[in-house]
Amino acid sequence: MTAARRGNLMTLALLAPSLLSAVLLLVIPILIVIAFSFAEQDTYGGARFGFTLTSYRELFQTIYLPIFTNSLQLAAVSTIVCLLVGYPIAYFIALRAGRYAGLLLALLLIPFWIDFIVRMSAWMVLLGRGGTINSALLGLGLIEQPIRMIGTYPAVLVGMLYAFLPTTVLPIHAALNGLDKRLLEAADDLGATPLQSFWRVTFPLSLPGVMAAILFVFVPAMGVYAIPVLLGGGKSIILGNLIVQLFLDFRNIPLGAAVSVVLLAISSVIIVCYMRVLRSVEEART
Amino acid sequence: MPPDTMIETAGASRAAIELIDIRKAFGSAGGETTYAVDRMSLAIRAGEFFTFLGPSGCGKTTTLRMIAGFEEPTSGRLLLDGKEVTGVPAHQRNVNTVFQSYALFPHLNVGENVGFGLSVKGVAKDEIRQRVKAALESVHMAHAIDRKPSALSGGQQQRVALARALINRPSVLLLDEPFGALDLKLRREMQMEVKEMQRKLGITFIFVTHDQEEALTMSDRIAVMNNGVVQQVGGPADIYERPANRFTAGFIGDMNLIDARVVAHDSDRLTVDAAGGRFDLPSTLPLQPGDPCTLAIRPEALHFVEGEAGGRVRFSGAVSEAVYIGTDTVYSLTLADGARLNARVRNGDGQPMPRTGAPGTLACAPSAIRLLTQ
Repeated sequence: MTAARRGNLMTLALLAPSLLSAVLLLVIPILIVIAFSFAEQDTYGGARFGFTLTSYRELFQTIYLPIFTNSLQLAAVSTIVCLLVGYPIAYFIALRAGRYAGLLLALLLIPFWIDFIVRMSAWMVLLGRGGTINSALLGLGLIEQPIRMIGTYPAVLVGMLYAFLPTTVLPIHAALNGLDKRLLEAADDLGATPLQSFWRVTFPLSLPGVMAAILFVFVPAMGVYAIPVLLGGGKSIILGNLIVQLFLDFRNIPLGAAVSVVLLAISSVIIVCYMRVLRSVEEART
Repeated sequence: MPPDTMIETAGASRAAIELIDIRKAFGSAGGETTYAVDRMSLAIRAGEFFTFLGPSGCGKTTTLRMIAGFEEPTSGRLLLDGKEVTGVPAHQRNVNTVFQSYALFPHLNVGENVGFGLSVKGVAKDEIRQRVKAALESVHMAHAIDRKPSALSGGQQQRVALARALINRPSVLLLDEPFGALDLKLRREMQMEVKEMQRKLGITFIFVTHDQEEALTMSDRIAVMNNGVVQQVGGPADIYERPANRFTAGFIGDMNLIDARVVAHDSDRLTVDAAGGRFDLPSTLPLQPGDPCTLAIRPEALHFVEGEAGGRVRFSGAVSEAVYIGTDTVYSLTLADGARLNARVRNGDGQPMPRTGAPGTLACAPSAIRLLTQ
């Protein structure tokens, strides 16, 4: 047995725990979901394994279409809002904050040590009819009636922004932080105003970070469940709560599995497209 | 420079740049402020190839960055073409820089990089295309117009950086150690090319380097800097042949520096004691008997003599080292008081060539010795 061969075996042995857990906790569950999506629903809310396209046929009926477009729209709008708010924050931390950069990044991340549901409950308290914001505004005499915030689309967007802000800021910050500051001096030297420098040098060079941020927000936002339910009152049905309803309320396991598979497929397509674009951007640079 | 502004400034002075009592603080240690550049007053003439020369950390790059507008002086005034520019941002100064790292935009191709300055000023696309082509041709890089900077070698990137700066027709071009990253052969080539380009364009070039040979071959005038202070300003021959102080003497070329003390003083002569001998040298330095001074002698001014050396200054000692370097041999002579004297002697021209360990006497003309205060 050669040393190289022994090295390979050693590598495999060291990788075994993570490989095993990836297979057990990731690959097998996905395969189970796929298997369920082709199963048949039995009379008592269970599933009989087999191969039928019933669930998928049902899925492509017109009543489900708006749910897909709702989800896509919510994900898209959330991504745009996150970028509009997150880019300036990332820019400030990377290029203007100086020695406070580390502190600001930490402040941005600390709330995320707290459980997600707790943080969303905090927003419910803030935005509620008798909540902190309304009582403050009433107390100051700025409004006469409490504003209806909870259960509205903007409230959902606030929740989405809050949830996905770090995943927007971090990749953009990384891209801007790696920016060679001498390039900005060169632009300045060549007569570019600060605004021209931004649009012609800083922004194009931060695009890989922006694209990563889009991926990190858009894909999870497609399958989001708790935020629209807690802050939006679950009124508009999106993929996340559709899956929950199909599994738990309607006991239609095959259909729920089929929706999950389609969501997985959409996400995969987006990720593949992202990788393609990223590669072409990298190639264009060399 | 348009002719009308030329007339305007010509009256006062033909200076492209004037630095008046410029200081740049970079921190304070123990309550005392330290200066990267201290009390610098200089006038750089229009069309001149002017070099700031000095070891790293001497303040030469800081000076350049203040002229470019990336940094503001702590005090003092900076005049560009006769106009005060203190406080004017870099993008409003008619000055362009060739950066040490080239700083080409990685996301733009060569043509877009070169056209950047014109493009941000809103020059018409057709004109940009023509001028980019011409600028790239002048640096022999027209073939690479569609390539990305990362696909170019260091020397090629250097040419593109030069074209990108010159296309804007600046009144002053700043070059910050532009050849630092190039190998020796390419560096020599680029030095000649840049010098030639400067002669042709007639633009003021301000060059920063720590390479004294580069400074001597390229410059019209050189400012030697150390610890933020200008030590001497002059043409290459001035600086090399008539160094003003011990720092310049030691920094430019090889130089023997021998500690000496004045014994007697005449109107145009000084008698000094050095290295165990007494020397009578022509000098008009205002030194009094007892003052310390330095003798500076170039190694190539010294040669071996046997017996009498009529009218010449002689140093006797033991040959401690002989290093053959091709055309010359560099000898090291240890003098009576332990000081060392290096002599660079041409090989095979009939001079006596002593062996290591043998006693030897080096001599030079009294005029080849330069006396420096301290």
